[in-house]
Amino acid sequence: MTTAGLHRPAPGTVPARAAGARRQRAAAGCRLVRLYLVSRRVPVALALLAGLGAVLWAALHWRWNIAGGPAAREFIPLTIQTGAAAVIAVASYGPFGEPERAAGRWLPWLRLGAAVALTAIAFGILAAGAAAGRMPGGTLALLRDLGGMTGIGLLSAAVLGGAFGWVGPMVYLLIIEGALAHRSVTPWVWPARPPHDRGGAICACLVVAAALVLIAVRGPRESSRESGRAS
Amino acid sequence: MTAATSTPVRHRSPRVTWAVPRGARLLRVELLRSAMPWILPLIAALFWFDSYRPSTATAPLYGVRTFWNMGQGHTISDCGPFVAGVAAWMGSRDARRGLADLVTATARPRWAAQLVTWAATAIWAVAAYLLFACVMFASYAREGVGGTPPWWWVAVGATAVIAFSAAGFAVGAYWPSRFAAAVAAFGAAIAMYLSFQIGFSHASGWALILPTNSNGNFDGSALTDAGIFYRWLPDLPIARMMFLAGIAMAALGLTGLPGRAGGRRLRLGAAAVTLAGLTLAGTAVGLVRTADVTAHGVVIPALHDSSSDTPISYTPACGRAAGVAVCLNPAYRRWLPDVTAALAPVLAEVAGLPGAPVRATQVPAAYAGGSLVITMGGHPTVLHLSLGQLNLPGPCGFCAGPVAANQFIGWIRLLFAQSFVGAGQGAGRPAQQAVGAVLLRGAGIPFAAQPGLMASAENFAGPVSAGCPADTKTGCGPGPSTGAVYAAAGRLAAMPATARRAWLAGHLAGVRAGRVALRDLP
Repeated sequence: MTTAGLHRPAPGTVPARAAGARRQRAAAGCRLVRLYLVSRRVPVALALLAGLGAVLWAALHWRWNIAGGPAAREFIPLTIQTGAAAVIAVASYGPFGEPERAAGRWLPWLRLGAAVALTAIAFGILAAGAAAGRMPGGTLALLRDLGGMTGIGLLSAAVLGGAFGWVGPMVYLLIIEGALAHRSVTPWVWPARPPHDRGGAICACLVVAAALVLIAVRGPRESSRESGRAS
Repeated sequence: MTAATSTPVRHRSPRVTWAVPRGARLLRVELLRSAMPWILPLIAALFWFDSYRPSTATAPLYGVRTFWNMGQGHTISDCGPFVAGVAAWMGSRDARRGLADLVTATARPRWAAQLVTWAATAIWAVAAYLLFACVMFASYAREGVGGTPPWWWVAVGATAVIAFSAAGFAVGAYWPSRFAAAVAAFGAAIAMYLSFQIGFSHASGWALILPTNSNGNFDGSALTDAGIFYRWLPDLPIARMMFLAGIAMAALGLTGLPGRAGGRRLRLGAAAVTLAGLTLAGTAVGLVRTADVTAHGVVIPALHDSSSDTPISYTPACGRAAGVAVCLNPAYRRWLPDVTAALAPVLAEVAGLPGAPVRATQVPAAYAGGSLVITMGGHPTVLHLSLGQLNLPGPCGFCAGPVAANQFIGWIRLLFAQSFVGAGQGAGRPAQQAVGAVLLRGAGIPFAAQPGLMASAENFAGPVSAGCPADTKTGCGPGPSTGAVYAAAGRLAAMPATARRAWLAGHLAGVRAGRVALRDLP
């Protein structure tokens, strides 16, 4: 066995084996992302978000909220935004538990990426749905409210478990209802504040930042009773 | 071998146990395994925050206190979505855990086992709802809230909780997904808020069936005397309970339709339950389309029981104002000092004049509205006070702020003067306005303060401005205390008291009949 047949690769070119390894890594990465998204039922979540966008479109187009005061006018769109936040939170539920945590070193990035991507997609879908009519507060308020409520949903998932991530946004929705009806001014109830309100925006950003860090690093709470199939 | 077969078989005598039906044992197991108790502390906190707490900022009368939480259905919106979500979670439990095939193969039909799971969920939810409502009413009772609680509306809430649990359970049973609970919860929330919104544009007809629609029905209670002078009519609550029970039956029936639910007969039974539920809900919608708003509330002829029209008997709480007995319903006892303080100066001012009241008594405020807050009639003249139409001194819920006692006293005096001069529903004729202004001035409200007082009287049809044309009801803003009316009133007020009383004694009948013009005043 000699080295007579070997050739030094030309400068600037990638060795064929290294290129193959990189392709393999990219394919494995894509597969990992795809499997992660499937395990989190992201396709179903996307379908639900599209449905919520359609409901928002219908609510604004047919003016389901035409009557009542300012609080009443905002409430149906806010309920739909909260529903979108709840869907994103529930999509954080992972069925694999300990094996996934032990083997998946990319898991924090996958959790973070999925949450951010779903939030961005939800914002786009709801903004498209809002084109049917005049959205109270406009796009800026939609971004702030949806982002903040997604943060509450992810915090809820971290505390109660991914499957119960909807509980936090639902509780917050009822708090908003009381705040709107009784003219509360605290920035922690940011949907009750004007769209350009700095305090409300800061509170929403704090909540979403804390939630993203928590969900990425720690993940949603897992119950040993509910580990199993990814239903 | 033969010896073995000849050995007598020893039958074990059955253990003596309590004759507990197998279904009850299963229900007990499901009650212990239900996820509902875990969410109940959260619902309790929301109940306090969203249903009880805002209501304490309203006048202590049951009609007003329960407008927010019972009439507008906030007790339902605090419970319903969570109950629907958890019920969906329970409905999807077996499939989610991969046990669907296993439990389908058991001796008990799948549908029966599912119904037991649902029943456990619903029992927890309804028991909690009733407990929370009772605690809330106990708190009201401790505060001395006047009147009787609207128990029929509590029953509507409990039935709504059953309906939400059934609908949520059906969602979970048909779609055993992690998203089922969220979809059921937010579907319930959107349905309720739409129900609330629809009421603003549909205050009658089919929309009355919607459980959180207060428009055209309970909203009247905030300014009327249901549960105080007359009973809470059960007609609309019964129709709503029929509707909600029909939805619950239909949803539960749907869970028995798939092939795995049980045998053919069982599935036919489930189909019959579904149809019966839809029929019940449809019948309820048809019934509310025949509803009428009467003085005592919403009446549905097919459901109306005439015994509900029996007035509530009471021993009045009485005081005296300028020697005149003033009697109120005991539910209004706490405002008796304000009412006597308000009436004393005006009663003293008109004492001895023709038509001066010898007694004042409270009369019920009616749902249909349109009646005067203060009227006078009979021989001898009796003053009738419909206090339920007024914002009473103290906390005032959705008003700009609490009602001050002085503000309330001013309104009473203003309305008394309006009634005494025969102005009726509107501002009255100029001569009536002038005489009324003089009476108010004699009762301690100077001319300059009268337009402001009229402007502050927001929840009754009063004389909005002394400068308004005759028979104006609303829409004419308060003007300054100038003009022909106040000029005439100033002349009358400047007369010596004896001469003024003599003129009034001789001309009051003409003023009330509209025969005296402004130029006829001295």
